[in-house]
Amino acid sequence: MRRMKIDELLSATSFDVGEGSPHIVIDPQACRTCPSERACELSCPAQRYKWDEVKDVMAFDYVGCLECGNCRLVCDRLFTGAEGYSWNYPENGSGVTYRFG
Amino acid sequence: MTVVDEENDFEAIVIGGGLAGLSAAYRVAQAGRSVLVVERGSTCGAKTFTGGRLYTYSLRELLGEQWRQAPLQREVDREIISLLTEREAMNIDTTFAEPAGRSFTVLSTPLVEWLAQRCEEVGVEIVPGATVTGLVIRDGLVCGVRTGDEELTSALVIDAEGINPLVFERAGLVRRLAREDVAVGAKYLFKLSEEEIDRRFTTSDRHGTAMLGMGAITRGLFGGMFLYTNIDTISLGLVVDSASWRKHGHSLVETAEDLRQHPAIARYVEGAELVEYGAHLVYEGSVDTVPQLFGDGWLIAGDAAGFCINRGFTIRGMDYAIASGIAAGETAAAALAAGDVSAIRLSAYKDALAGSVLADMAEVRNAHGWMSHTPDLFTTYPGLAVDLMRDMFTVDGGPLVPVRSTLAAAGKKVPKKLSTALNLVKGVRSL
Repeated sequence: MRRMKIDELLSATSFDVGEGSPHIVIDPQACRTCPSERACELSCPAQRYKWDEVKDVMAFDYVGCLECGNCRLVCDRLFTGAEGYSWNYPENGSGVTYRFG
Repeated sequence: MTVVDEENDFEAIVIGGGLAGLSAAYRVAQAGRSVLVVERGSTCGAKTFTGGRLYTYSLRELLGEQWRQAPLQREVDREIISLLTEREAMNIDTTFAEPAGRSFTVLSTPLVEWLAQRCEEVGVEIVPGATVTGLVIRDGLVCGVRTGDEELTSALVIDAEGINPLVFERAGLVRRLAREDVAVGAKYLFKLSEEEIDRRFTTSDRHGTAMLGMGAITRGLFGGMFLYTNIDTISLGLVVDSASWRKHGHSLVETAEDLRQHPAIARYVEGAELVEYGAHLVYEGSVDTVPQLFGDGWLIAGDAAGFCINRGFTIRGMDYAIASGIAAGETAAAALAAGDVSAIRLSAYKDALAGSVLADMAEVRNAHGWMSHTPDLFTTYPGLAVDLMRDMFTVDGGPLVPVRSTLAAAGKKVPKKLSTALNLVKGVRSL
């Protein structure tokens, strides 16, 4: 069997992108001094976090987020709500929209 | 005594239209009280997610005979426990003669959608597409919610936000969920025809298979896999501790893909179309870390309250969501009838749970701690089991090896330390 990449996995799931602002905010530059071993990168089930070696920043895309809350807990800065970091639920019904659940 | 204010928009407001919130609202409405459910998804069911197995007793309690109309999937009569190494597996495979409707595989979106309809039939009002951003608190009494600029008031609020109870955490009413208390799960949903699923699992008549597995698939970490057969889909998932994953070196998605490729798993899902991929946190804390369950003007139910038990061979969350929703709804209705929503009055909720979910969680309070500190469970023992089976079943023309020798050889590989033996005894006691 062929391995699937995350984009292929997420393309099976429905998302309502909405017009709002990102529900999760991080500071890509501040992530250089991550105190949490970049746990987000490995443990996000939607692989929304990816360390950009060239730009030396954390690349994050909130579209495709499955809203599980794992990063909210494994990232110390999201957990404590450090400056430049926040975690909220998307508003107005946007975000992941499960058809099967 | 905290007297109910007559000027409120509703008598009760429920945050979250999932299984817990809807069950609570259903009971409140049945008691003739006005109740509003505020749901952040575009519909009830849009944000719900489950591994996929429901023990039905609490659904029956909620709905009576009407539970039979619920959109459940297959009735589980085949239970498989799988010990997996990198490429091999040993299964304990049991088929029960009379499952008696006790447990079904489910897809939670259609189930929650259906339950929302039942709620509306008994008078529950539901506002979907609205994210609660805060509470209305007056003199220490929770008496409403905020969604954006709007304020909705009620005599009491039932919190059923789910595993990430942002609103109640931020209000400082419950302790914050910690990474040590959760595991993260990812699930694939694969589509196959009903006939093909029956063929692959040797089932018929909408009977289903539930498989839980542990071993090399989680790379030595606490966790495991699950596989449930639905009518014409298969749920396949991986669950691992969030805390231990932090220092791990393997990506969760890659590990899930490895699971999907495992020879003992791939044969069930090969060629099937992926129709959904999702993720959810699983509460793995103990009864000692569940939050405060009630206060002045509020109750908390379901995942938000941490009502979940994972014993390795059974995982229960949805049944407790419904059961705690029932208890919260009944407690709320009685408090409203008495005109008293004080914490003292609402403490009846905890009493109602004392004989069910809280007792169950107390019974297994040490299980998670034991499992997560016994890495042999996920490495050594599955390997030993598979090796033993291989030795027993391998016939290659060499000298016949008596079973006693095979067993003795396997026995030599068991860690001999006294601490190992004591730890196993401790583990069996904890489960």
